[in-house]
Amino acid sequence: MNGLTLSETDFLDYAPIGIIILMAVTFALANVVLTLMLGPSRKGKTKGMTYESGMKPIGTARKRFNIRFYLIAMVFLVFDVEVIFLYPWASTFPNIEPRSPEGLIWLGRIFFFMFTTVVAYIYGFRKGIFRFD
Amino acid sequence: MISIADKIATMWPEITLFIGTCIVMVLGLSSKLVMRKACSPVAGLSLIIAGLLALQNDDAVGVMPYLMPYAKALIAGVGLLLLMLLAGTVDRDQEMRIAGGAAFNPLSSTRAEFYAFFLFSLTGLMLCTGAEDLIWLFLALELTSLPTYIMVTISTSRSRGQEAGIKYFFLGALGAAIFLYGFALLYGGTGTTNLVEMQTQFAQGQINTIAMLGLILSVIGVSFKIAAVPMHFYTADVYQGAAAPVSAFLAFVPKAAGFFAIMLLVSTVGWNQGVAGGLPEPLHATLWMMAVATMTLGNVLALLQHSVKRMLAYSSIAHSGYMLVGVIAGPGETGSGSLGFVGNGLAAVLFYLFSYGVMNLGVFAVVACLEKTGDSGERVEAEQVGDLQGLIRTKPLLAVVLTICAFSLLGLPPMLGFFGKLPLFTSGIRAGEIPLVVILGLNSAIAAFYYLRLVKAAIIDEPAPNAEPLVSTPFGARTLAAGLSAAGVVVFIVLAGPVMRSSERAAVVRDVSALEVHDLADGQNAVPVAVND
Repeated sequence: MNGLTLSETDFLDYAPIGIIILMAVTFALANVVLTLMLGPSRKGKTKGMTYESGMKPIGTARKRFNIRFYLIAMVFLVFDVEVIFLYPWASTFPNIEPRSPEGLIWLGRIFFFMFTTVVAYIYGFRKGIFRFD
Repeated sequence: MISIADKIATMWPEITLFIGTCIVMVLGLSSKLVMRKACSPVAGLSLIIAGLLALQNDDAVGVMPYLMPYAKALIAGVGLLLLMLLAGTVDRDQEMRIAGGAAFNPLSSTRAEFYAFFLFSLTGLMLCTGAEDLIWLFLALELTSLPTYIMVTISTSRSRGQEAGIKYFFLGALGAAIFLYGFALLYGGTGTTNLVEMQTQFAQGQINTIAMLGLILSVIGVSFKIAAVPMHFYTADVYQGAAAPVSAFLAFVPKAAGFFAIMLLVSTVGWNQGVAGGLPEPLHATLWMMAVATMTLGNVLALLQHSVKRMLAYSSIAHSGYMLVGVIAGPGETGSGSLGFVGNGLAAVLFYLFSYGVMNLGVFAVVACLEKTGDSGERVEAEQVGDLQGLIRTKPLLAVVLTICAFSLLGLPPMLGFFGKLPLFTSGIRAGEIPLVVILGLNSAIAAFYYLRLVKAAIIDEPAPNAEPLVSTPFGARTLAAGLSAAGVVVFIVLAGPVMRSSERAAVVRDVSALEVHDLADGQNAVPVAVND
């Protein structure tokens, strides 16, 4: 709890972090360099083609997408993040003493949190992002 | 340990504002004009309720236990004025098209978002005042700032607003990164993110190098919010690029958030640490240089500006420098040896935030009320000093408002700004910061030049013969905001007493000198000593 002065800090404690960083950098660099040195190099039209899970690509990926994909992704994100928070809440909630005021507050908070998501949904609905015409 | 229930009891104002935000977000997207128009009254109502609720709660929380009621009521009050000023900022073209028979298009409307972000930002500002933890403080500061980036961008349809928004966002991210790094070091140096525990540790004389470095970095990072040197670069461009009402918003809301954060952070080390009392030497030196550089640079660069908005931006930098003097001076002695309000630097800052919020808003409101026809025929803001020439002939009310508020910003007696600046001087003298006070005085003299130039243009100068005639914006609420802030500057000369007393009470820092050694073992039990009010 008490603060250490800089001179008292044992920097050797941080050595494992340094070693891991070193390993990561070495691994990445070694892979690139070894591939360049050892790997056979064949170039061709098919090799340079975009990988589309075995299908023949029908066009470039750099084209305009309809903005509704973007908006739907945003709405999805809202719900996704909500679920991320709901899960740890649900696994912690049984540990609270039953019928204690604490439990009520916990329940209130998560309902409040879900309420915010509903507001976000209503906002998206009013904004017209689910209208596909 | 403060339980969750107690914590929520102090947060009713924020919850009210949040509920207001939810309603506004849905109302603003209605296809009925009446419902859309209700956004602003709903926001105003939630601000009034939040302000009243804030005055009800008097629980002592954190390192500045009584900050919340005063600060939140102040936020709600100035927020109301800002709300009036923001009338008609967004969706003006679209509303005109709808009046001409076009259909309402929710995707291109920004009214709902604008008012929602306005309330979000004020919610964040209120949360700042009750922060007792570094994580809380960081989230509150970001909740204050993030909406403002978007408000700047959508406040005008011109590309300048977008440029301003982008600049503001990236520099804001830089500022946030710096103070977050500072927070991380503070945690590393003290082992806690709780400000109260931190204060207890510091009182035991355990300010180690890492914690001190963290504190200095945090203060420098937060100085982005208050637009202080060395984080001031965005100010002029952003204030000029945003619509005038949003610039007024930026001049108060992030600045107040920054000062609340700086006061809370600096309170943890306290003002009895240096060789001759005062802040610990490294922090003192940092704040001292920041204050001097901020006020000098702000005032000198303001002299060179031709645009009223840029001038006000630099003047806003200078005013941050003035307020930093109060932070350096600190609250002074409490108890019988106390000088009261005049010796209390923190009370001076809190009172100055109030007076600055009111008077600065007046000048921005005048700019927001005036328009001229631009080069390509569209209406643009009349933001050049030259545009204001002869304003007294055409718009006498606005000219009077401009004069009153500019005199007040200058600190001319007997305006409100004088009573705001005076305690900064007296508390600085009390703390023995004579060179700093001299520089503050010199800067006030420099500031006279550009404020008086503004007044001269409006009152004495004749309008240029071939000048574009100025038109009022068709929003009565903006004129009302201008009138109210000028009235506030005059009325609070008489009524300043109660505000000063409550600001003095809000400036109380949790006392650690009276703690027994065995209390220090667990800082949680430490109670703030009674206030002398």
